[in-house]
Amino acid sequence: MLKRFVMALCAVALMAGAAQARTIHFASDATWPPMEMLDAEKNVVGFCPEVVRAMAKAGGFEADIKSTAWDGIFAGLAAGKYDVIASSVSITEERKRAMDFSDPYFEVKQGVVVRAGSDIKSFADLSGKTVGAQIGTSGYFTAKKAEGATPKSYDEVGLAIEDLFNGRLDAVICDDAVAADFALTNPNYSGKLALAFLIVPEKPEYLGFAVKKGNREVIEILNASLKAVRESGEYDRIFKKWFPTN
Amino acid sequence: MSHRKHVTIDIGDGAAIPRKRDIGLFSAWWLAFIGAIAIIVYLCSVSPEPYLRILKFIPDGVLVTFEVTVLSILLSLVLGLITGLGRLSKNRAFNLIASTYVEVVRGIPLLVQLFYIYYALGRLEIFSNLPPLAAAVIAMGICYGAYMGEVFRAGIEAIDKGQTEAARSLGFDSRQTMFLVILPQAWRTILPPVGNEFIALLKDSSLVSILAVADLLRRGREFASESFYYFEAYTMVALVYLVITLVLSKAVSHMEARLHYYDRD
Repeated sequence: MLKRFVMALCAVALMAGAAQARTIHFASDATWPPMEMLDAEKNVVGFCPEVVRAMAKAGGFEADIKSTAWDGIFAGLAAGKYDVIASSVSITEERKRAMDFSDPYFEVKQGVVVRAGSDIKSFADLSGKTVGAQIGTSGYFTAKKAEGATPKSYDEVGLAIEDLFNGRLDAVICDDAVAADFALTNPNYSGKLALAFLIVPEKPEYLGFAVKKGNREVIEILNASLKAVRESGEYDRIFKKWFPTN
Repeated sequence: MSHRKHVTIDIGDGAAIPRKRDIGLFSAWWLAFIGAIAIIVYLCSVSPEPYLRILKFIPDGVLVTFEVTVLSILLSLVLGLITGLGRLSKNRAFNLIASTYVEVVRGIPLLVQLFYIYYALGRLEIFSNLPPLAAAVIAMGICYGAYMGEVFRAGIEAIDKGQTEAARSLGFDSRQTMFLVILPQAWRTILPPVGNEFIALLKDSSLVSILAVADLLRRGREFASESFYYFEAYTMVALVYLVITLVLSKAVSHMEARLHYYDRD
């Protein structure tokens, strides 16, 4: 009786396995609106998750997106806790040494958020000011490059924005879309914070999906499905939904 | 310290009891201390990239960790003494306030207290200019003050009632009795657990990195997040914390040994 039961279980498991498409696990630091964030039901939503879900549909795989703290997100990838980081990761030379990237899916600039009425108008104005950013992001690397400024690293960009709002920081640097979201559309901050200016990089900065070094298989799936999503016009539809002003 | 070596037996009123010598603890301490230093030196000499670079990156973080720890300890000692006396006070209001403080603070995790004092209260006008270091010290001082209060209370309660009675019959008032007779004696009982609290506080000071305070842990994290040397950075951070706490625990046990010199064990 037991034997038959176990065999039946095995058969069910096998069939389920065969029927199920391959699942790719994505990690996302969902504290980065409107790129990726949590909605009221704790689902990961935003521009990037929506692109990923469209890619899954086009590429025939299951996308499992888990909210993961930024600090340690790269260590988790190296440890094999998930296959892909889909979390507004800029493609940089330093990061390319530690991980592989998909084709770019977004172009970013760094945006500088200040309190409304601030006299910070240019990158040079940051001298002598305290500038916050999220630890390990291109925003923080930019803050460290500002001459004469005191950079401060936060666990989350939201905490830096809160400190800016409370008057302990003079500016926060983060991706332009995120900066615009906090300064212009966030009901808690709009009118009190302002997007001072964008920092134009020497060469364009792109976001990509990061995978463990050498994981060609997943890279190929990602690139093929991203291409399909772009060609079908789905990408543009999602872009317009999340960035209606552009 | 050298005089201590000669005294192996104390002769008092009772039977002669050989003095306890903490050989086990002594050697465990040296094993950990020399081991940690040796590993740091070994790692830095064998692969200076990245270990030596990490070691050079974190010293200002060590200073901030010290700063937070020392200031928090001072604040928590003051709060602890007041709370301990309050818990023993016959003054009902004082007693109730002290007891409520202990109950409330012990029921809220330190990390939550840090968030609350810095980010939540930061919304209020008067707290909005509170620098992160001050917020960290206030939160840690308040938190550990509650624990210190219990240590002080237990230490004071451990002093024989006869001491109070004797002091009062000699004409000391209750305040003189407490500060001139009871507390100097209680200090011996209090010191070992206070030493433990110091070490726990130093380790917990790593939590203040959440307030963007550039302490030892945050320096390590910044290094790791930019270089992706996670294993190497956190190994070095752990070793440096270990060395600091070992030095602190040695200092505390040194003070204990001095205080107990005249004691019979």
